[in-house]
Amino acid sequence: MSRALCLIPAHNEAASLSAVVAEVRARRPDLDILVVDDGSTDKTMVIVLRLGVRWLQLMDRMGIGSAMRAGLRYALRQGYDTVIRIDGDGQHRAEDIDALLTPISAGHADIVIGSRYHAAGGPGRNGSGPRLMGVLAALLSALTGRRVTDPTSGFYALGPRAIRILAEHHPTGYPEPELRLFLRRNALSVMEVGVRPRSRLNGRTSLTTGRLAAAAARVALALVIVPLRRREREAARV
Amino acid sequence: MSDRIQMEMLAASVLLLVVVLELVRRRRLTEEYSFLWILAAVALLIVSIRQDMLRVAARWLGVSDPPAVLLAVLVGTVFVASLCLSVIVSRQRQQIERLIEETAILSAELRDLRAAGATK
Repeated sequence: MSRALCLIPAHNEAASLSAVVAEVRARRPDLDILVVDDGSTDKTMVIVLRLGVRWLQLMDRMGIGSAMRAGLRYALRQGYDTVIRIDGDGQHRAEDIDALLTPISAGHADIVIGSRYHAAGGPGRNGSGPRLMGVLAALLSALTGRRVTDPTSGFYALGPRAIRILAEHHPTGYPEPELRLFLRRNALSVMEVGVRPRSRLNGRTSLTTGRLAAAAARVALALVIVPLRRREREAARV
Repeated sequence: MSDRIQMEMLAASVLLLVVVLELVRRRRLTEEYSFLWILAAVALLIVSIRQDMLRVAARWLGVSDPPAVLLAVLVGTVFVASLCLSVIVSRQRQQIERLIEETAILSAELRDLRAAGATK
């Protein structure tokens, strides 16, 4: 019997979290929901307790990578074999979860990533998405040998093998582009499926100019370093 | 090199050694990280006593002024030491991440256990 967990990493998502959880529950009542609170300083935890979902609370802001590792290790220990990550700001639609989960349950991929630019063939083409992201997508496609159309997507479903490796080694910082390189390096099969983008219910991207520069630097470093790293072993101990 | 520079170097290296050992004595610096600095102090002490080593090194490297070699060695030592510290800080960052993740998981498991116990 396959058990699937919907993992929602959340940092200060009090304004949107209820709507996201309600949408997931309405669409997929079979999924258990786990919110990983990444050191929120707003009322996120109050909302979480009111919603009655499973939750983990990181005592300080550790970043999305750390929140994912904590959530994935919890999922492993609780015996889940499928995890779907959806953001707490409402930019992902719960109705797209089916499309992400189908290839996983069919065993066609270790990880299925929702791409906002899948139909357009990538960001920057046909005027879709920012141009810089188009460059990043092209770079990642060349380095991974797979077509990457949405390098910063944080909407993805993981099968058992991906959960075991990422529970220990999910990249940190600004991890989504690095994740693509990591998956390639560790020979995990990736599939992209198109999802319909939606603007965030709550505020804007967390990227300010300074953070964008830091993120770009990290991604640039990852482009060079990650393909040169040794392969990681799957978590033996849970 | 003048006797005065030699005395100053000697005093500086002895002072460094004393400060490091005092920090270890007060447990403000743990033994494992003190060796880096003890080594640096001892190296400095040796070159300040055996000035001829410095002159040989200067000739070998094609530097006309032996104290310049000393300066280069000092800069190099500080460079290596701070790189070591960055490695140590990085490792500690990873350990802290891991600890915070595990704490969150354990408290969730404890919560689950208590809830299961309460319903019995």
